[in-house]
Amino acid sequence: MIPAVAAVLAGTVLACFLAILPGLHIYNVMGLAALFLYSLHGGGLAAMPEVYIPFMLGLVTGWSILNTIPSVLLGAPDESAIFTVLPGQKYLMIGRGYEGTMMIGAGSLAGVFMLVFLVGPFAPKFLPVARYVFNPHMHWILWVVIAFILMTEWPKGGNRGPAGWSKFFDAWSTLGAGLFTFFLSGLLGFLLLYRPLVSVDDAFQNIMPAFVGLFAIPWCLINAISGTEVPKQYVCDTLNINGDLLLRSSIAGGIGGGFAAFFPVITGGIGGLLAGHATAQRDERVFMMSQGVSKVVYYTGALMLFFAPGLFLTRGGGALIIKGLYTPHTWADYYLALGSIALSGAVSFLLMSPLTKWTLKLIKVVDYRHISIFSLGIITALVFVITGWVGLFIMTVATGIGLIPVLFGSRRLNCLGVLLLPIACNMSGIGEPVAAFLGLLK
Amino acid sequence: MKGIAHFISGVAVASFCPWAVEAAQNGNPAFFILGAAAGVLPDTIDFKFYRFFYHHEISVEPDPNRLDPQPIADAVAAAVAEAAATGWPVRVKLATIRIGADNWRQYRVKIDPEAGEVRVQFGPVVSTGQVPQPGTLPANRPVGLAKLSAPVLQSYEPTYTVDIFDGPSFKFIRNQAGQVEIEFLPWHRNWSHSLTFGACLAGLASFWTWQAGVVVFGAHVLHVIEDQMGHMGTNLLPPFTKKRMPGLKIMHSGDAFPNFGCVWLCCLLIFWNLYAAIPEPLYRFSFVRLMLYAMIIPFAVFGVVRWLLVRADKGHPETLSTEWNV
Repeated sequence: MIPAVAAVLAGTVLACFLAILPGLHIYNVMGLAALFLYSLHGGGLAAMPEVYIPFMLGLVTGWSILNTIPSVLLGAPDESAIFTVLPGQKYLMIGRGYEGTMMIGAGSLAGVFMLVFLVGPFAPKFLPVARYVFNPHMHWILWVVIAFILMTEWPKGGNRGPAGWSKFFDAWSTLGAGLFTFFLSGLLGFLLLYRPLVSVDDAFQNIMPAFVGLFAIPWCLINAISGTEVPKQYVCDTLNINGDLLLRSSIAGGIGGGFAAFFPVITGGIGGLLAGHATAQRDERVFMMSQGVSKVVYYTGALMLFFAPGLFLTRGGGALIIKGLYTPHTWADYYLALGSIALSGAVSFLLMSPLTKWTLKLIKVVDYRHISIFSLGIITALVFVITGWVGLFIMTVATGIGLIPVLFGSRRLNCLGVLLLPIACNMSGIGEPVAAFLGLLK
Repeated sequence: MKGIAHFISGVAVASFCPWAVEAAQNGNPAFFILGAAAGVLPDTIDFKFYRFFYHHEISVEPDPNRLDPQPIADAVAAAVAEAAATGWPVRVKLATIRIGADNWRQYRVKIDPEAGEVRVQFGPVVSTGQVPQPGTLPANRPVGLAKLSAPVLQSYEPTYTVDIFDGPSFKFIRNQAGQVEIEFLPWHRNWSHSLTFGACLAGLASFWTWQAGVVVFGAHVLHVIEDQMGHMGTNLLPPFTKKRMPGLKIMHSGDAFPNFGCVWLCCLLIFWNLYAAIPEPLYRFSFVRLMLYAMIIPFAVFGVVRWLLVRADKGHPETLSTEWNV
């Protein structure tokens, strides 16, 4: 037990540092850790699953809670956090960055609570039934989600002036940019899927440069050139929330994150979007906390379901990476996972306040733009180290696509076309004909 | 109702059609996509197309630097007077006041038929989520007041809050009794939300297969029924009917609980229909058991927990309603 506890704590502490580095995704780190374990195995050594599984769970749980800090304070969100950034950065720009971050953190803690005490006991009994019923229907569910993303973006312009085409085009500039982004990123996804440019050795990181370019780089670039001055930040003693708000946030975020964790290809960002619409919560505090819940339930929940007896669901990069190392098969594995999540979640939340204060001090001392440029450097270096020049090229192309919604004010979620379009086409059996039409099968 | 409720209702309608489920099992998602799209299409037409081409005779654009409510009240009263005098419809648009990337100045307009007057007052700055920003209520808040020259007949609520995105519009038209009727958002829930338009869409879809027509018509009709639960109502059979049929006023379109309840119920119905289509299911359960475990018990637990939490706090749930009225 002691090695497992130590491994969880080690994973969580490592996640603290990794989470503060903007733009770095935990699955990349887990991939590198898996490579290390494979190399150990190749060298005749072996790590015990009772050690590396809690370590991995600590990494994912800690990261999914603590990556709120760069998302809000440094403006470099991963895909699952793109919804928290706007309200979170609003809090930052009125001197309440600490409060905003801790509010999302409170939501994350509620997410851990939901996973361990609500989803945990019921998942092995009910989710196998849900999977059994939904399994033949995953493809159309994905198409329906795509239709929802494309049909429900709200036109932001066209509110003034005489009726007519000018008003229409003003409104449709954002909607058109959104559609354009979705189909461009979808094309990029087809290219990456059918003509992988990254070498076979790094195939598990094939999509990583595209994701970094679509989501992280545009924010760093905009922050670096925008000349944003972060105002003086205040550290509050209490959060302006209550049990009712936390309950509503937990329901909204739990459903969104749960949906994303259960259905393939649906990401935390999409889950958050669906839950936000479905629960019709307008309060910014509920919104922010629900995104904290959603993020944890999505990342950690997806990994937890991998260990659920009778289910052993492989969703998300984390579960895929662990699947290559270990196959869970007993209740003991599940209890180990639940315990690791609970411990890591509690420790991460306790670390959140000091880390947020430390980051705020950093912002005070170092210019916000310099941090963005530094983040940009780290992300670019990481992509280069893992995927080489080809990865940098993919990242640059993806950045061009990722900048479209930022510049036109459309939904950044449209960038997820990179995953949704090719995979939905494949699941419906039309992936190859489309790829052939695009000339990718020659 | 909100877009997602209509959207998932359309999917639920498709799930009731055995041919849609069978096609989906064979890898064809078309009927479900069609149902979803038809479910949300009426609002898509109104909000993404029609409203940009809808002409207003009077457009009121308040000066953000000089918060004077009187010109707004005067413009509304003038529109009522013109409609009463000429008998022609007069359409008025009240523009929102954007004062930053995510901030809007809120104002309220009350058209009071009993007092025969229009009152306008400025409120706080709100975010795009309609959350009031602390300390932004103007210190000096005069009320713009203008008397109406003709009796008015409300078909919606008397107080209109103008804040985010696109402001509200009204059509003032004199009826046979000499009253000026107020039609709120005249471009919305009209022909696009009618059964006749639904029939036309279904006819178009039937060119593909009659099954598609059934899915489209069902999704469209359910959208109309759901909207009838609200306050505004819909124009059911244009061109035979000219006005909206008043709604049942059971809910507001943005209310959280009915929207979520509808979405969740639709999800369960979809689940049940997919389960019922499995010839020899591995797991066996009844519809009642599904509803009990997945809806009644969780909703009851949520209700009790929320009641306890609210009680432990101050005894009343926190709302976002701004503490001011015109």
